[in-house]
Amino acid sequence: MTVDQVKSALTRGVPGLTIEDRPRQVGVREPVTVTEVWAEIGREGLLPAVAALKASGPLHISIISGRDKGNEIELLYHFAVGYGTPGGEVMVTLRLNVPASDPTVPSICALLPGAETTEREKIEFLGIQFTGIPSTDHVFLPDGFPGHPWRKGDPETEKLVKRLVEWEGKDA
Amino acid sequence: MPDQVYEIPIGPIHPALKEPIRFTFKVEGERIRGVDIRPGFAHRGIEYMGMKRNLIQVLYLSERICGICSISHPITLTLAVERAAGIEVPPRAQYLRVIFAELERVHSHLLWAGVAAHELGFDTLLHLTWKVREKVLDLLEELSGNRIDYAIPIYGGVRRDITPEQVPQVEAMIRYYRGLLDELLDAFLRDPSVEARTRGVGVLAPEEADSLCAVGPTARASGLAKDVRQDRPYLVYGDLGVKAITPREWGLEPRGDVYDKAVVRLLEVGQSLDLIERCLVEMPEGEITSFPKIPALLAYLKKADGEGLGWHEAPRGEVIHYIRLEAGVEEPVVWKVKAPTYSNLMSWVPMFVDQEIADIPIIAASIDPCMCCMDRVHMVDASSEAMVQKEELLRLSRAKTERICRGGGPA
Repeated sequence: MTVDQVKSALTRGVPGLTIEDRPRQVGVREPVTVTEVWAEIGREGLLPAVAALKASGPLHISIISGRDKGNEIELLYHFAVGYGTPGGEVMVTLRLNVPASDPTVPSICALLPGAETTEREKIEFLGIQFTGIPSTDHVFLPDGFPGHPWRKGDPETEKLVKRLVEWEGKDA
Repeated sequence: MPDQVYEIPIGPIHPALKEPIRFTFKVEGERIRGVDIRPGFAHRGIEYMGMKRNLIQVLYLSERICGICSISHPITLTLAVERAAGIEVPPRAQYLRVIFAELERVHSHLLWAGVAAHELGFDTLLHLTWKVREKVLDLLEELSGNRIDYAIPIYGGVRRDITPEQVPQVEAMIRYYRGLLDELLDAFLRDPSVEARTRGVGVLAPEEADSLCAVGPTARASGLAKDVRQDRPYLVYGDLGVKAITPREWGLEPRGDVYDKAVVRLLEVGQSLDLIERCLVEMPEGEITSFPKIPALLAYLKKADGEGLGWHEAPRGEVIHYIRLEAGVEEPVVWKVKAPTYSNLMSWVPMFVDQEIADIPIIAASIDPCMCCMDRVHMVDASSEAMVQKEELLRLSRAKTERICRGGGPA
């Protein structure tokens, strides 16, 4: 799998997509260029992009990371396409911004069942709603934990941290 | 019939092991029909804490994510931060990181082999593997000062060099394990009773391993040649030409069962020894860090602005760290950590289905999770309630081994 193959698969799935290459030199004796692919997509582009990646080679999802930007929540889908050959796997990161007032994203579990754990984690930590996800049970936080710890100024998390500080007498 | 299906919750607490987890099994007689997995009992909010601390403190935290992978997380974090901040790593430091990472793989796989032997009831084998594991731990202590939590990687390089006086000790360790490896392979892979307890048990089909995004030896045992060191070169792994090990290297077609997982891990011990040996030969002289002074490093990192991904093949599979730095802010704005067990969690479900209760311990251990919380088994039935302890589960597992050794079939 080459970077160009991955990029053309992505643009086939989502025409007009702007793709950024992030190359770096790796190795000492025989340095090679390892290029990461980064692209920003809209909600409607997510499923076609993942389907296009899946069609282009063996697809692995490493993790979905994310952050609260205030009005928006940013999700980063870190995929790796094309495992199985030396140096043949390309990291692809899809950046998706959703409004904090309507954090709904289509679930990619139907295309890639291995994404379920990380999607469920984003429900707990960022309050994202995934349409079509097989289960919304908590993975890491206690059942019924009321807040979303990675949301800025989440009152429930602040209460929890305050209690910890009182118990431990240390900074959390 | 539905009234014959029992629910058995197992876990979450086991005081002796690192990561508690709760399984709720649905069983029909001796057969497992389904499982619900609930982790999170050891969630310490480390990422949240990291986002309130400066990057040097985050490095210390990352080292404490896992006691066994205590080099994998700092290596991955430093790679991510170096990427975000544009820091170069001197060649010698890249080799040193690889040497420590492979030493960790040797001790982690030997630890697993001992646990697997114990779960099957072969405690002599447990004692043998854990006795020989001491050699690599002694070496790590000699090189870093600690048996775990080595505090070796730092942004821009490593904190300690391997001195010329220490090199013969590393070579002696390599010779020691090479002499033992055949014996270990014999004891595990050519033993009829180990084979009887692990062949066809806890099978993960290659299609399932692929679609569930399994990583590390769990994926490789199913025949997927999936190894981050091979697929996505980093540090000097590209130069070293690492190849993913599957049971094919042992001359067998992969079946994805517990036996194949043992094959992969034991062969990887030999692979790690080869890599360490090559690193010692190829490692150039030179600096071990591009930032010898910590205050200068912190000042540089405070000005850094950017985001980066780091990846590494830990003993259990792919580790990923994502970091986002903003200029003028000491703390990372985002720090996301993904450990291998996170990716392998869902692979347990197909591995448990249609297996026997007595096989629960070895299947649970087969992905080499950072946990094994079998101390509390609670059988729930609408009409009666009975408690079964971890000891009982182990007894079932061992009784099955004994039965098989005496020529009897499964119950």
